[in-house]
Amino acid sequence: MSTDMTSILTAEQDAQLREIIIEVLELEADELTDTSSFVDDHDADSLLAIEILARIEKDLGITIPQDDLVDMGNLDGVRAVVVRNLGGDKDA
Amino acid sequence: MSTAAVEALQAPVTHAVEPLAITAVGAATPAGLGLEALGRALAAGRPGHAEPSVQEGESLPPRPIRAVPDLRVTELIGRKGNRHLDRTTRLGLVSCRLALDSLPVPVGSRTGVVLGTSTGSIRSSSEYSLETLHQERPYLVNPSLFPNTVMNCAAGQIAIRHGLKGVNATLAGGHLAGVQALRYARNALRHGHADRLLVSGVEEFCAQSAWGWHQSGALSPDAAVGEGAALLVVEAEDAARSAGRRVLARVLACETGYADRGGLARALASVIGSALGRSGKDPAEVTAVSLGATGLVGLDRIEVRAVRSALGGALPDQVVRVKETVGECFSAGGVLQIAGLLGLWQLENTGAARTAVVPAVSRDGQVGCVVLDLNAPVG
Amino acid sequence: MPEPETRRVVVTGLGAVSSAGIGAAEFTAAIRAGRRTTSPITSFDTTGFPHVHAGEVHDFEPAEWLRRIEPTQWGRSSQFAASAARLAVADSGLPESELARARAGSVMGTTSGESAVIEELVGQWSADGLKSLGTDRVGAVPAGRIAAAVNSELRLSGEALTLATACSASNYALGYAYDMVAGGDADYMLAGGADSVNRWAHAGFYRLGALAEEVCRPFDAHRSGILTAEGGVALLLEPYDRAVARGARIYAEVLGYSVNCDAEHMVHPDPTSIAACIRAAHRSAGVTPEQIDYICAHGTGTRTNDATEVAAAREVFGDRIPPISSIKSMIGHTMGAASGFGALICCQALHEGFLPPTAGVEEIDPALGAGVDPVPGTARPARPQVVQNHGFAFGGNNAITVFGRVA
Repeated sequence: MSTDMTSILTAEQDAQLREIIIEVLELEADELTDTSSFVDDHDADSLLAIEILARIEKDLGITIPQDDLVDMGNLDGVRAVVVRNLGGDKDA
Repeated sequence: MSTAAVEALQAPVTHAVEPLAITAVGAATPAGLGLEALGRALAAGRPGHAEPSVQEGESLPPRPIRAVPDLRVTELIGRKGNRHLDRTTRLGLVSCRLALDSLPVPVGSRTGVVLGTSTGSIRSSSEYSLETLHQERPYLVNPSLFPNTVMNCAAGQIAIRHGLKGVNATLAGGHLAGVQALRYARNALRHGHADRLLVSGVEEFCAQSAWGWHQSGALSPDAAVGEGAALLVVEAEDAARSAGRRVLARVLACETGYADRGGLARALASVIGSALGRSGKDPAEVTAVSLGATGLVGLDRIEVRAVRSALGGALPDQVVRVKETVGECFSAGGVLQIAGLLGLWQLENTGAARTAVVPAVSRDGQVGCVVLDLNAPVG
Repeated sequence: MPEPETRRVVVTGLGAVSSAGIGAAEFTAAIRAGRRTTSPITSFDTTGFPHVHAGEVHDFEPAEWLRRIEPTQWGRSSQFAASAARLAVADSGLPESELARARAGSVMGTTSGESAVIEELVGQWSADGLKSLGTDRVGAVPAGRIAAAVNSELRLSGEALTLATACSASNYALGYAYDMVAGGDADYMLAGGADSVNRWAHAGFYRLGALAEEVCRPFDAHRSGILTAEGGVALLLEPYDRAVARGARIYAEVLGYSVNCDAEHMVHPDPTSIAACIRAAHRSAGVTPEQIDYICAHGTGTRTNDATEVAAAREVFGDRIPPISSIKSMIGHTMGAASGFGALICCQALHEGFLPPTAGVEEIDPALGAGVDPVPGTARPARPQVVQNHGFAFGGNNAITVFGRVA
């Protein structure tokens, strides 16, 4: 995880993201790593990917454009997209 | 055009209706899981389980209830991928699994599904709609639950989980769903849209439909709101016999019609008569009736009157009222009427030949009748 | 089982209640002109929805069209279905009394049944709890009432079957009706479908990222999704010999159909399974791919649908894909009625001689590959002989009907 992301995501937000992904993909906590692929490693399909996006929008109160889904293939990707849409780091 | 030509055009084109064979049954009812549990409860005149699983803070109407006690979801559907399945789909999948497990070999991909419903899961669609009113923004709904709001969800999930690529049909039949699904199945088999069909009816208990029944005034005050599912594995009798599969019963006819409210009894009697006619059975040969309108205000008497009229005055020796055990199961009622008969027949196991009529009648005007038999001489 | 003896089946009556007009003639004129008839939603409060357009039927007064059933006792989808069926019978020139005496029934398709009634009840639930559900509206909830409304309105004594195979349901209905007439189980069948615009589907499609903001633009590089829509459609099917004997106008012959299931995913269509369905429909109709002159596409307006549908067509037709257009570009996605409207326009295309257009196509999506002709803009004069009509659905429920010109 890159340092500029940690500086923007609070520990609470980061824990929230992990929890959402673990719940939606029905994983054990230690199965999810920063770079494990939702599709290849965790059997996600595009409906579950949209569910992750929808849950983040609802729980974190932000709006994520649908086009960003392509960048949300693992936890690090999700962090980058969330940071981008929190408005704190447009270039991330 | 000459009169003769008109008559020739109007003469119905009929062809032999090949009997369908029922080779397996799965049932999930307030009597428990399996056909035997249903048969035993019916034989003992025992009502089913009366405690529904209710969501927190949910109130239920002050009337009797029947609910399936334990669906054993993890064991019968699997541990993963269940999170989003609503109760309608779970009931469908469990009854399917129970039926398929009773067969010696897996059904192939040229198998189809015909599933009877009325609205799909009314809990799923109405809660989804309610979310759009209660969320901060109306679109903050869960995308993974969206397929549950569509009526063909359960049939689609059955196909996906068992790799069934044949025709996949969902019928909104309500009280007619059983006979309509068998008719649809017979036609699909005849035209080669599948080699065998899983014919199912599903109804879940939920607060929404319980209050709906309660408010509608259509159920007599002492009649229970129930739930359940049954699934019949059906194929052409010839195919089943030549493959050496056990035939639990034959479906000889499944006829339907329509009439205005005032004409329901006559239309039902007429459709029972034509179903017997197409079966090559005389009313005197009928040994059993499995009634469907028990507890429905007005309709229960219409049903009994029509059966009496079609059979020449008296009811047959065996009269089954499956709803006394399972409660009002709406679109699952038709297949449960059949499952109830088969459960009882298996339990009795006398080897005697039997013929049953299974009537169906709806407030909206649809009438129908299935004719079943057992232990008919082969060939 | 052996194939039973069959009668030729033709379409002799068309009825439509749609955003593009009421009656087959009005509907067809709008489609031929490539007129977009979607509009801002008025049937529910759209506050908070970023996208607020749909194909609503704004000027529908059920009492103007229905003679026997009391509109207030039925839901909006049932009203659409019964009105469309009455229009189809009037269009066919068959006296209503003769139809009522015949072995006649109806089979109607739907996705969400009486969703408008359900949402009315959800409103009561939200305001005052479930014990406040209105007694009269509860009885109007079952989706099976859609076909019942048709039978009641036209006094039909045969089957009244509602098929709920989502967005391919009308094609399922047409296939079943065709079998009933061909096999001699019925002499007339009304087949089609009906659905109503509703909040929950609007929210669900938006949440899936599948809802267009204002314009549904299938096959275009800049398409952005579907528009939900509503309406009712009915076709009158009867045996060819009977139609000829009574001197009826024959729009088209139903040549055959096919239904199958992907059995893969609830919301993602599978091109190989759809190609198998197309081939089976051709076998059923007794035609070869070279004979197909036009495809009325499922064409929802999403990238996934376009890619899948064109890939499936390519598997069957190779590089010679027939002209393939989507009327959803004009009326939106009428859900369970969609393939019924597709069937209606196929019949008109064969009868009047044109190819229905895809409205609003500015740049055909190059990602779809070469040789895709969506008939952009307005209808194209042509003399199609055999056409096919696609319907795909959630649950992987595919259904394809094939229609032919009767010389």
